[in-house]
Amino acid sequence: MSAPPSPPAGLRIVIAEDAAIMRDGLTQTLARRGHDVVAAVADAEALRQAVAVHRPDVAIIDVRMPPTHTDEGLRAAQSIHRDHPQVGVLVFSQYIEAQSAAELFAGAAGGVGYLLKDRVADVSDFIDAISRVAAGGTVLDPEVVRQLLSVGRRAEALAVLTPREREVLALIAEGRSNTAIAGAFTISPRVVEKHVASIFDKLGLPPSRSDNRRVLAAIRYLES
Amino acid sequence: MLAVSARLRDHPHVLDGVLAVLLFSLSAGQWPIGPPLSTTVAVLVSGLLAATVLFRRRYPVAAFTAAMTIAAAQVLLGMQAGDGGPVVRALEPTVTDVVIPVLLYTVAAHRPRRVSVTALLVCLAATAVAITRWAPAQPPASSNLVFAAAAGLGGTALAAWVLGDSMAYRYRREYYASLEERTARAEAERDAQIRIAAAAQRASELQHRRALAIDESAARLRRIERDLHDGAQVRLAALAMTLGELKEALDAAPADSTDGDRTRMLVSAAHQNAKETLAELRDLARGIHPPVLDRGLGPALSSLTGTSPVPAGLDITSTQPPSPAIASIAYFCAAELLANVVKHSAASQATISVTDQADRLLMTVTDDGVGGAQLAPGGGLAGLLDRVQTVDGRLDVTSPPGGPTVVTIELPSHA
Repeated sequence: MSAPPSPPAGLRIVIAEDAAIMRDGLTQTLARRGHDVVAAVADAEALRQAVAVHRPDVAIIDVRMPPTHTDEGLRAAQSIHRDHPQVGVLVFSQYIEAQSAAELFAGAAGGVGYLLKDRVADVSDFIDAISRVAAGGTVLDPEVVRQLLSVGRRAEALAVLTPREREVLALIAEGRSNTAIAGAFTISPRVVEKHVASIFDKLGLPPSRSDNRRVLAAIRYLES
Repeated sequence: MLAVSARLRDHPHVLDGVLAVLLFSLSAGQWPIGPPLSTTVAVLVSGLLAATVLFRRRYPVAAFTAAMTIAAAQVLLGMQAGDGGPVVRALEPTVTDVVIPVLLYTVAAHRPRRVSVTALLVCLAATAVAITRWAPAQPPASSNLVFAAAAGLGGTALAAWVLGDSMAYRYRREYYASLEERTARAEAERDAQIRIAAAAQRASELQHRRALAIDESAARLRRIERDLHDGAQVRLAALAMTLGELKEALDAAPADSTDGDRTRMLVSAAHQNAKETLAELRDLARGIHPPVLDRGLGPALSSLTGTSPVPAGLDITSTQPPSPAIASIAYFCAAELLANVVKHSAASQATISVTDQADRLLMTVTDDGVGGAQLAPGGGLAGLLDRVQTVDGRLDVTSPPGGPTVVTIELPSHA
């Protein structure tokens, strides 16, 4: 099997996932794409140690891990993000909760991602998400964005947006760059800029030139 | 007439009083007209004799003894052999002496036979002495008169005793019958109490077992969800990832043949199937046991209100966390009720509030919608009621036309 071309610089990655089949599968897949999985562990404590020792670019973290199988991964991600701000944390889970996303993104300046575990099926997209988080970007699962957009009062507030603007807002919240949004709708980046400016104006958000700050502003708006 | 007799039965002392007054009045004609002292003593003696009747029910023996003492004095001092007349005129027997058979009757009716027989013998002896003292004064030819007096006085005493004794027998029989009845009643009561205690014990046993079964079932559902999460779901995700990689590898390879296209198509379909199955499996597992419940009822409800299409507030003031089984029932009810609000109420606002009262969890879901929600058989609310009732919970719906709708659910904190 011929692997697709890997990015020029491989990322140093720590994986924390208690299911061996997923841990090993991810390790192999990432290795095939030219990334360096420096540690693959099965619980939150081993994760904290591995991060302290290896200082990876990004840690991929399962939410449910031993001993309680509830939200160990989420807590570990928060503490890693606090203690090692330069380490990106991508939390992935069999289920997603808007609330968990809110906790994870609260106070974060970037380098944070929250995805449904299913997303590993679209390998390149998943690896792209890892890269964005490693680079200090933000990734939010489309499902969470969908939930956030449909919630009561917010849905009313968002009625001021045009359908296209809503689609653009969703992609912003997912953490896409303007270039990526332009690619998704096959429109020019300049048009995307116009949409973004209009959305931020209508929602009363402060304009921002940085993709990342724009994403965070959008997420905070949706989570408020 | 009946009323009078009933009243007398209820107040026997009235009867005794009437008798005493009657006898005392009748004796008035027999009081000697003479020196005032003698008259006074005679009145006093009659009064005392008559008064003994008043005490016959409470102190039958004492009353009898008192009367007999006075009677003895009368026999010894109030009459005299021959024509000499009484030594003390004030002690001449009077009609009040009738109290003696009355008292004998009372003793026989209310005291053991050995006491009453003694009293009878004392009476007969007194009669014999009295007649002995009285008889010599009679002319010799009137021996019939003496015999008649003896028979009259003795017979009266005997009749009083027999009457009283048979009353005693009746009383005893009634007493035994009532005793028997009371015993039977006590036994029946004890049997009933034993049966009630057994039923209560059985009920508490069943309640305990039901609680165990409910907890066990909640724990089993949670285990199933975890098994799915750690097993099928993660394997399927890994499979989907492999298929995804395979698909991308095929896409990247040069399109060289129809076979290649066909393979690409098949792999793509398999990849799509795997992803859809993952989503279905997730919904299934979440329906079995929502993992968010593992963080507690509060966070679980907050995730419900936080993603509700109708703006929903959450107000939790309960302090003691319910058992997992109860939390699960409360969560599923809240989810269903909130879904109802979205589907049927046209509400602009909903609120879930949770408080606890003693060992009960109280949850209300309120909306400002159109109202008209009904607890109809086979309906969604009836399904919730069934669920709530498995743990002795309650569900009340208040939903007048025009709203607002308030659904109150009360659950024990522990099954």
